[in-house]
Amino acid sequence: MLLTSVLVTFAAAPLGLLARYLPRPPIGWILALLPLAAFAAFAAQAPAIIAGERMSQAIPWVAAMGIELRFSLDGLSLLFTLLVSGIGTLIFIYTAYYLAGDPGMGRFYVYLTVFMGSMLGLVLADNVLTLFIFWELTSVSSYLLVGYKHDYADARRGAQMGLLVTVGGGLALLVGLVLLSTAAGSYTISEIIAAGEQLRASSLYTPALLLIFLGCFTKSAQFPFHFWLPNAMQAPTPASAYLHSATMVKAGVYLLARLHPALSETPLWIYTLTSVGAITMLIGAVVANRRDDIKGLLAYSTISKLGTMVLLAGMGGPEAPAALVATILAHALYKGALFMLAGAVDHEAGTRSLSQLGGLRRLMPWTAALAILSSLSMAGVPILFGFVAKEEQLYAAVDNGLPAGLDIVVLIAVVTSAVFGVLYAWRLVSGVFFGPLGSGMKAHVHEAPAGMLVGPAVLTTLSVILPLGLLPATAALLQPAVNAIADDGVKISLYLIPSELSLPLILSMTALLIGAVLTRFEPQIAAAPSPLPLWFNGDRIYDAAINGMLQGATSFTRTLQNGKLRSYMTWAVLALVAVVMPPLVLFGFNGLVLPNLAGVGPFELVSALLIPVGVLATLRARSRLGAIIASSIVGAMIAFLFVIYSAPDLALTQLLIETLATVFLMLLFAVLPVGFERLTSDSERARDGLIAGLAGLMMAGVAFAAASNMQFASISQAFRAESRSQGFGDNVVNVILVDFRGFDTMGEIVVLFIALLGIYAMLRLRPSVEPTRDDEEAPTPPASLDGATPPEHGQQEQQETASEPWLKA
Amino acid sequence: MYDSIILRTVARLMLPILLLLSLFMLVRGHNLPGGGFIGGLLAASAFILQIIAYGPVHVRRIIPVNFLGLAAVGVIFAAVWGLIGLVTGQAYMLAFWLKEPIPGIGKLGTPVLFDIGVYLTVIGVTTQLALVLAEEPILYPLRRRPVSADRVAPEA
Repeated sequence: MLLTSVLVTFAAAPLGLLARYLPRPPIGWILALLPLAAFAAFAAQAPAIIAGERMSQAIPWVAAMGIELRFSLDGLSLLFTLLVSGIGTLIFIYTAYYLAGDPGMGRFYVYLTVFMGSMLGLVLADNVLTLFIFWELTSVSSYLLVGYKHDYADARRGAQMGLLVTVGGGLALLVGLVLLSTAAGSYTISEIIAAGEQLRASSLYTPALLLIFLGCFTKSAQFPFHFWLPNAMQAPTPASAYLHSATMVKAGVYLLARLHPALSETPLWIYTLTSVGAITMLIGAVVANRRDDIKGLLAYSTISKLGTMVLLAGMGGPEAPAALVATILAHALYKGALFMLAGAVDHEAGTRSLSQLGGLRRLMPWTAALAILSSLSMAGVPILFGFVAKEEQLYAAVDNGLPAGLDIVVLIAVVTSAVFGVLYAWRLVSGVFFGPLGSGMKAHVHEAPAGMLVGPAVLTTLSVILPLGLLPATAALLQPAVNAIADDGVKISLYLIPSELSLPLILSMTALLIGAVLTRFEPQIAAAPSPLPLWFNGDRIYDAAINGMLQGATSFTRTLQNGKLRSYMTWAVLALVAVVMPPLVLFGFNGLVLPNLAGVGPFELVSALLIPVGVLATLRARSRLGAIIASSIVGAMIAFLFVIYSAPDLALTQLLIETLATVFLMLLFAVLPVGFERLTSDSERARDGLIAGLAGLMMAGVAFAAASNMQFASISQAFRAESRSQGFGDNVVNVILVDFRGFDTMGEIVVLFIALLGIYAMLRLRPSVEPTRDDEEAPTPPASLDGATPPEHGQQEQQETASEPWLKA
Repeated sequence: MYDSIILRTVARLMLPILLLLSLFMLVRGHNLPGGGFIGGLLAASAFILQIIAYGPVHVRRIIPVNFLGLAAVGVIFAAVWGLIGLVTGQAYMLAFWLKEPIPGIGKLGTPVLFDIGVYLTVIGVTTQLALVLAEEPILYPLRRRPVSADRVAPEA
C-alpha cells in the first residue's frame, strides 16, 4: 500500500496534462480524486496506527549498495501523509480556479503531482538514501513550481535561490545521513533510531548531526537560511500554500522529529536547535510585521512558526513533543487556508500590497469571514485550534528541559513571538478587509468563485470544530506521532478550557492583551528601522555569492583559456607535475634499485646520447623546418632503442607516428614564416624551461620508480605463455592489443574518433568559413598560433601556381 | 602542395605498394610484427603522400571515400564483434575463434575482426585529419575554389 501510493502518484503525474483538453474548473475536481484517494487510503490505516501498529514495506533497489526502497508508516508519517494528501486535495481543486485562464495549467498540475509523490515518499521513507532522494525531489519540484512563471526574472531568481539553498543543504544532509548510517551500521532509519545510545557515543555523532542540521535548516527556512522562502513566494499561490507553508518546508522539522529519539538530549542538539529555532521564531515574527506584501507577511509568519517547531524539537521537556505535533497540525490548517485566501484576494483585487488593499469585507464577505477565523487561529485566540496549539507551546516552554536561566529566556521568546503573532494577524485582517476601500485595487472587485473558497472553508472549519468537541479524537490521532518522537509514556492531552488557572494560561492571555494593545501602534512598528544591520541580509549575501562565483569562474576561465597554446601547455604540464610530483617524492623511491648498466652496449649508448642532442638542437633551431627535423632525431632514436630491445611493433609504430607527425607539422608550417619570432622575454623562457625541466625530471623519476618496483611479479611472462594457447597468436603485442587488453584498445579508438570529431568541428563547422572564402581580405592565421604573420608573397604565389594543375585535371 | 614531377611520380607508384604493404601488415599482425594500428598508419601515410604530391582535390577525386564515415564505421565494426559474448550470455569482447582455419587467410576469430576495425578507424582518423588541414582555407586560402584572375587577393 505504501509503495503503491507513492508509485501511483508519480505514474499519475502526466494526467495533469489533461487540463489542456478538458473543461477548466471541473478538471480540478477530477484531478483532486488522486490526492483524495491517497487521503482515504491513509485515513483507513489510522485505526491500526492508533492501535500501535507499524506498517513496513521494502523492495531492493541498488542491492549491491544496500539501498532499498523501504517505506514504513507510523504515527508521525501518518500525520504528514494525511496533511500532504488532504491539503493536496484542496489545493488541486483550488488550482483549477486560480489558474483558470492560464494555458500552462496542465504543466502546473504535473509539477504538483510530482511534488505530492515526492513528499509522500519523503515522509514514508525508512531508508536514509530513499529519504534523501525524495528530499531532493521535493526541492526540484519546488524549483519547477516557483519558476512556473518563468518569463519573469523574479520568479526565475526565486526558483534558483530556493533550489540552490535547499539542494545545497540536501547534499550536506546526504553526507550527514551516510555518516549516521556508518555509525549505526544500517541504512534503515528504524534501525538507526534503535541504535541511539551507540550513535550518541560515536565519534561521528557531531559531524553527522551538524550536517543533518544544515540540511534541515535550509529546507525548513531556519535562520540564517530563511531568506529563500520569501523569494519563493514568486510561485503561484497554490504552490505557496501547499509547499511553502503546509508541507515541504516542514520536511526539515519532520526529519528532526524523526531522528529525535536517537539523537536528542545532547548539548549539541539542545543548544543548536534551541538557539536557531528561537532566533528564527523572533526574526520571522518581527519581519512579518514589516511586510507590505500579504504573501510576504504570511511567508515570514511561516518562518516564525517553523522556528517555533525547531525550538520545540530541540529544547526537551515532557510537553515539547506534544506541542510540536499540535503546532504542525494547527499551522497547516490556518496557514494553508490563509495562503489560499490571500491568493483569492490577489486574484480578485489584482494586488497583494497591504497599502493598496482595504475594505474588502463588503465586497468579498465569504473570503473575509474565512480569513478572519483563520487569522484568529493564527493569533491564538481562544476556541480556535491555534489557541490549543499555543497553549501546548506555552506549557512546553514553561516546563522545558533547559538549564536555569536559559529556560526563562526561551519562555520570554515564545511569549514575545505570540505577541507579534497577534500583531501580524491583526495587520493582515485589518489591512485587507477593514478600513476604507483600497486605492490600488481593480475597479469591480467580486467575491472569489466558490471553488476557490472550498479549500479555505474546509481548513477553517477544521480549525473551528476540532477544539469544539473533537479534541479527544485529535489527541488520539496525534498520540502515535508523539510516540514516534518521544519515548512511550508521553501523553498528549489537548484541552480548550483549562481546569485551573495556570501560568501558561496567564501568559497566553497576557500575550493576547499586549498584542491587542500594540495593534494601536501598528504603523509605527511597520515603519520602525530594521533590527538587523543592512548588510546582514540573506538576499544580498546570496546575490553577492552568486555574482562572485560567476565572476570568479569568468576570470578563472580567462586565465586558463586565454587562446594561447603555450599557456595551455604550461597549465597542463604544471597540473600534471603538481599532482604526480608529491606522491612520487614521498613514496616513489622506497627501495629504489639503481639500474644495472652492465648490459649497455655501444648502440644503446650512442642512441641514448643522441636523444639529448636532438632536444638541444630542437631548442636552438632557427627555422621551423630545422626544429621539426631536429625533434625527429629524438623519435628516431627512441625507435632505434625499441629495435635494439627487440620490440619491432613498437619501433614500427614509433617510426610511422614520427613520420606522420612531421607531415602534419609541415602542413601547418608550410604557410608560416620560415624563421621563429621571439615572443617571450628571457625571464619567461627561464620560467618555461624550469617547468619543462620539472616535468622531465618527474617522468624520469616515474620511470625509475616503476622499473625498481618489484612488489608484484611481472605480467609479461603470463602474457607470453598464454599468447599462443589462449590468444592463438605469436605476436604477443598484438594479442595484448586486440584480445587480452582489447577493451583498452576499444577505448583508445573511440578517443581517437572523438578527437577527430573535435578537430573536424573546430575547423570545418565554423560559422564564418564559407562566406569569407572569397573575401579580398588577407587570410589571418588562427589565434592559437599567436604572433604568426600572414603568408609571405612568394609563398602564396607559389601555392597559386601549384593549384593550377588540380583545377585543370 | 609541392609541384614536383619526381614527387608525383614516386607518389603514384608508391600508392598501390604502400596499400598492399598495409594490408600485409594487418593480416600478418597476429603472429608477426604488424597489426591493425601499424597497417592503418601505413595506409593513411599512402593517402597523405598523395595529398602532399597532388593536393586534396585530386585525392578526393581518386579516392572517393568519406574518411570521417570510415572512422565511424571502424569504431562500430570493432565494437560490434564484442557483442557476440553478450548475446551468448558471457562477457563483452570475449574472443571467439572458428574451429578450422580458412584456406589462404588463416585462423579467423573476433580479435582479428576487431583488429580490422582498429585498422579502419586509424585510416579514417589520420587521413581525415590531414584532409582537414590541407583543405583549411585559412592555411591554404586559394586551393579550394577556382579563383578568376581579377579576384586574386591583392597581396598575392
